[in-house]
Amino acid sequence: MSEMTHSQAEELAGAFALGALDRDEDAAVRAHLADCREAHPELEAALGAGIVMAESLEPVSPSASVRDRLMATIERMPQAKSQPGVEPARDSRRGWLDWLSPRVARPLAVAAVAAVIAVGAWNIGLQSQLGQRDAALRAIASAISGGQAAFRVEGQAGHGYVVETPGEGAALVVTDLADLPPDRIYELWLLNPAGSPVAVGTLASTQDAVAVVQLERDLSGFSIFAVTVEAERVTAPSSDPVILGVLGSS
Amino acid sequence: MTDSATLQDDGQLAQRIRSGDRAALGEVYDRHASAAMAVALRIVADREGAEDLVHDTFVAIWQKIDRFDPARGSLRSWIVTIVRNRAIDRLRGTRPSIEIGEADERSMLRSGPNPTWDSAMARLGAVQLRAALDELPAEQRQAIELAYFGGRTYREIATMTGVPLGTANGRLRLALARLRELLRQSDVAPVSVTAGDER
Repeated sequence: MSEMTHSQAEELAGAFALGALDRDEDAAVRAHLADCREAHPELEAALGAGIVMAESLEPVSPSASVRDRLMATIERMPQAKSQPGVEPARDSRRGWLDWLSPRVARPLAVAAVAAVIAVGAWNIGLQSQLGQRDAALRAIASAISGGQAAFRVEGQAGHGYVVETPGEGAALVVTDLADLPPDRIYELWLLNPAGSPVAVGTLASTQDAVAVVQLERDLSGFSIFAVTVEAERVTAPSSDPVILGVLGSS
Repeated sequence: MTDSATLQDDGQLAQRIRSGDRAALGEVYDRHASAAMAVALRIVADREGAEDLVHDTFVAIWQKIDRFDPARGSLRSWIVTIVRNRAIDRLRGTRPSIEIGEADERSMLRSGPNPTWDSAMARLGAVQLRAALDELPAEQRQAIELAYFGGRTYREIATMTGVPLGTANGRLRLALARLRELLRQSDVAPVSVTAGDER
């Protein structure tokens, strides 16, 4: 969208305040506000109106079980903080922590994953054992329907989520996984806060739009998930992570 | 009503949550969950779905309390903004994320402190605010409700209501200007109410 004039921005005050602009117009108003030194009386007067709409509603108490569920959820859920003291597992050109900086994400369309499950078109890739597949599907379905934590992971090889369901372990759901040469595999890692990696599974290239891998460990005690490319399953990563995510940062 | 004591207490509760105090989140929930539930229920019209959204919103608050900036608005506004955005996502068929994302932070700019609205909310309850909304011309009220509770852009509102874009945008502007005026008038003569405010 071309640059917005002062009067155009003011004319959109009501729509802007109520979140009723499309993405481009919203961005254009913001860009204008960032650069324009003139007063914006109508915009300034309109901002905050949405909260009045919300406050005009009669309060409605959620069921008591919601509070109980909330407190149970956060009991095992760390807050998203910076991860001081996490060191790379080995020397590398690019430190593991470098990958933790915010990047433009292409979020996984979890709804699409749910749809795949619903229509039974799921392909589990190399996870050929039915038990593993079912466990992964249950974990994902539960996370999708039950509001469980889903930690975003991303990198040059793909993007997705690590989801965990109490009692059923954790699973990686990843989409758009980059192809690998036939002699390479992806190896999955969990790192504790001290930065020590534990191998929790492998995955080869797949043509599937979505791949699911049940992790061999649950997430308790770990703060980072990573994927590296290896020649074979190893006990310590030998390359930089190609997918990475902070557990506790969805 | 959101009085100054509540705002101050909320600030302290936010600090406690930052320090990892789970009980503080419970207190925040007790204060604001019913407002969040009202918004979620109004948007998704499904009690179970609304409760899930409220749950997820408070989980997000627990996880991302570091992103709360009191200079940009009250804790209650933040909570309401988050639950509203998630409810709109669900309405559109997009799964709401637990993440407090860019959209929420953009929304908080829209929700930031504003003397007119803040003054009204400090003095008036839901019944009075609703009475003010009821005084708007029907087409203006419809437009702002489609925008806020329906997540519709003014372009979509124009299509839905069969009016030109300028008219749809104008209705949003006029509605807020009129609402502001009604609430200012209530400084002198409170908006008439027929029932007590339970908030």
